Amino acid sequence: MTIRILAAALALLAGSAAAAADLEVQVRAPNGQPVADAVVTVHLVARPTPAPKVGTGYAIDQQDIQFHPFVTVVPVGSRIMFMNHDATRHHVYSFSPAKHFELKLEQRQQNRDVVFDKAGVVPLGCNIHDKMIAFIDVVDTPWAVKTGSDGRAVLRGLPATGVTVTVWHPYLKAPGNHVDRNVPLSDGAPRREGFGVALRNPPQAPAISDY
Amino acid sequence: MAAGTPRFSSLRTRLAVLYAGLFAVAMLCVSAVLYGVVERTAEGQVRRELVASGTVFDRLWQQRSDQMRDAAGLMARDFGFRSAVATHDASTIESALSNLRERLGLPMAIMVDIDGNVVGADDAAIGREARDMAMQLDNDAVGGVVSLGGAARHLVAAPIMAPALSGWVLFSVDLDDHEMHGLEQLSAIPLTATVYQRQADGRWAPGERTTKLINPAIDRFIADSGAAATPSTVDAGQGVAIALVKPLPTMPGAPPTVLLLQYPLARALAPYRPLQIAIAIVSLAGLALVVAATWRMARSITRPISQLDEAAGRIAEGDRVNVEVDSGDEIGRLAATFNRMADEISERERRIAHLAFNDVLTGLPNRALFHEQLDRELRLAERRSGGVALLCVDLDDFKLVNDTLGHPVGDTLLRQIAGRLGDLPDDVFAARLGADEFVIIQPMADEGDIEEVGALARRLIGLLQVPVRIGDHDIEPHASIGIAVSPADGQETETLLRNADLALHQAKQAGRHMIRFFEPALNARAQARRAIETDLRRALQNGELELFFQPLIDLAKRKIGSFEALIRWRHPTRGLVPPVEFIPIAEETGLIVPIGAWVVREACRQARSWGDEALRVAVNVSSIQMREPGLAQVIGQALQTSGLAPSRLEIEITESVFLDSSASTLDLLHELRAIGTRIALDDFGTGYSSLSYLQSFPFDKIKIDRSFVVALAERQGAGAIVQAIIDLAGALGMETTAEGVETQAQLTELTRRGVGSIQGYLFSKPVPAGEVAGLLASPLRVGLSESSLRA
Repeated sequence: MTIRILAAALALLAGSAAAAADLEVQVRAPNGQPVADAVVTVHLVARPTPAPKVGTGYAIDQQDIQFHPFVTVVPVGSRIMFMNHDATRHHVYSFSPAKHFELKLEQRQQNRDVVFDKAGVVPLGCNIHDKMIAFIDVVDTPWAVKTGSDGRAVLRGLPATGVTVTVWHPYLKAPGNHVDRNVPLSDGAPRREGFGVALRNPPQAPAISDY
Repeated sequence: MAAGTPRFSSLRTRLAVLYAGLFAVAMLCVSAVLYGVVERTAEGQVRRELVASGTVFDRLWQQRSDQMRDAAGLMARDFGFRSAVATHDASTIESALSNLRERLGLPMAIMVDIDGNVVGADDAAIGREARDMAMQLDNDAVGGVVSLGGAARHLVAAPIMAPALSGWVLFSVDLDDHEMHGLEQLSAIPLTATVYQRQADGRWAPGERTTKLINPAIDRFIADSGAAATPSTVDAGQGVAIALVKPLPTMPGAPPTVLLLQYPLARALAPYRPLQIAIAIVSLAGLALVVAATWRMARSITRPISQLDEAAGRIAEGDRVNVEVDSGDEIGRLAATFNRMADEISERERRIAHLAFNDVLTGLPNRALFHEQLDRELRLAERRSGGVALLCVDLDDFKLVNDTLGHPVGDTLLRQIAGRLGDLPDDVFAARLGADEFVIIQPMADEGDIEEVGALARRLIGLLQVPVRIGDHDIEPHASIGIAVSPADGQETETLLRNADLALHQAKQAGRHMIRFFEPALNARAQARRAIETDLRRALQNGELELFFQPLIDLAKRKIGSFEALIRWRHPTRGLVPPVEFIPIAEETGLIVPIGAWVVREACRQARSWGDEALRVAVNVSSIQMREPGLAQVIGQALQTSGLAPSRLEIEITESVFLDSSASTLDLLHELRAIGTRIALDDFGTGYSSLSYLQSFPFDKIKIDRSFVVALAERQGAGAIVQAIIDLAGALGMETTAEGVETQAQLTELTRRGVGSIQGYLFSKPVPAGEVAGLLASPLRVGLSESSLRA
């Protein structure tokens, strides 16, 4: 639901500009499997990318000793509500440069919110539960969308100009975990770009004597 | 024993060596087996220990790894540490790492963040190597062997999740001697552990930075070991060791690394060394015991054998021996048998010696012993300047006793005579040489003491002539004795015996029952006879013999009626040898037989050539020839070969042919008569002339002996005898021939008395064959005038 809201907002933004173009990105692993939870962002090449509009209603739930969703895309300046549904306490933290914070959430329904006022990737961990991990991509562009389970992300109403398409995934094997590509966009038929990315294995919950 | 094995002259040594050798071989086998078992046991034990140690090492390695990884993991998850990493708080990180290094005793603990910044590295180069490696890692905690700074190190990497991967904590320990020594200390057996890494060129080198020397044996061993986790032996230059290769986990991209556990076999066997020494000592002690025991046993076996050996040697030398053996085993029985054998040998030897030196019939010493005795006496005599008398004694007419009374009687007689000779004085030695021939040896104190010898000889004559009664026969033995005395008659055994024999011969010749001393002349005569005998044998082959012919004048026909063939010997050096010199020798030696045969053949051949079919030839045949079988065949063949009419051959025999065996002689004469030859009785009137001969055989002619012809003019009555013979012959229908007619007076007288034919020098001496023809052609040299016939 959150994504749809964001997409509608983006579409509005695009419509207010000049001629609009569509971009359809397909992200696949080397074995051809579609990659979900990859964030596709677009920045303008020739001119500054306009700042996104701060959205509302973002939330990350802690349920069954796990964050939900795994990847969250928010415009810079957004406020995200952390909601604990578990019977345990959680100690949510992030050491990221984008946002350094700690939230000690008591069990049961304790909600706290945090404002993310700096663009960048914010890995979320729980100091109590090592296996809990989630990522927030705080974007400074109005054009950002997360791939679905089919590995597709569709961006509409983009300016018909040269853009930098960035695909980011928390485990993407590349510096900064992202790959970029400059793409000239034009009116007419949607532009289709395919990205092949390799992913690291997600970190396992460390176990004793596990080699 | 088989060829090639050493030969020992002593049975004892051989036994000892054989048994000790066998035992030694057995002991060697047992020792070898025990040694092998011990070695295998030790080796097996070490192998098991190695495997166990390998397992222990695995666990130790695991524990070490776990310890390091847990520490690294703990550190990586520490909230403060993660916070410091996230905020790039290098000094905090550095102090935390340093703190951990000291607490855990780690040589290296560094942090590499996701951006490649290294914190905590003492050595920047190693830090960079570690970073490059870490940058390839995922966010998994990993561990294993790496090669850092040229040395093998055990390294663990723990990702720093904050919560995303933001760096790595790297811990490592050197796999150097010190570390390995720590591991070795934990093993149950004192082994050596070394880490080897595969070099870029594929060879295996020690993991330590300082020693990269490659040992080819180790290199090959590791390369060959593969995945087989079983220990085997390797000789890396310091003696054989049992080794086990354990592959070690390595970090990705790090060269393959193994842990080599070694255990020197010598040390593995060290605990068994006393056992091996004990086996060796027991073996040697056993061997010594066996040698000693065998030596003793061999001695007990071989001592009786040595005794037997020695005894056999003494028997060979002629000693009489008896072996003392008291054991009842095979050797005891052998000794008993040996003793019996020795006794029997000695008894047999005694008998053989007796037989060898004594005469079987009489028990007197034989010829061999006689020779020895004579030799000895001659030597003794020479030493004391004395003499030895040798008496050859021969019984007279013993052959007659044998022939007429039989050999048993003859043997008994000989035994009796031997008994009498045995009664002679002690210093006299008597022996029998054979047949009726005995010898006596008497040592003489003085060479000239002939009288003593003569007395002994006379005593012998007297002793021997005592009559003997054997069965129904009374025999009066007579003996002839020939004596030779040394040194005068010879100093050698052979010479003395030959001379005594010659003397004996002389005694026989002189009429028997006599004693004769040897005279040198006897010897000369004997040698001459021997020379003639030798030459005569050759004469027949060389054609030195020839026939002369003397005519017989037939008075009635007044012409030559026949010739008497007379043998002559034309000796190559001595000239013509008279028959009287060689005929007796030919008769004695038996040569008369072939010579007589030749005479018959030659006479027949010559007579055939004369042409006149009325002429006869007369051939003399001796009694010896008559006794030899085959005379009739010889004559028959001579007639057949020559083609002479049998009636022209006249065989002349003397009365002596009847002396031996008249029956067989008569048979022969009848046989010759049957062929057709004529038979004449020669030399009638001499010797044993008996009228019974004339009655027993119808002779064709009687030849009146020359003695009567000579006597005609000298003795009264001779004419009467001649007349009687002529008349007797006439009455019996036999012709007569007078021999030896030399004078006209004899011729006249014989003619007057009516003799048939005459032979003698008056008409012709015997002439060579070539003159016969001339003789026949010429008129009679002495005319047979009417007057003489009338007178």
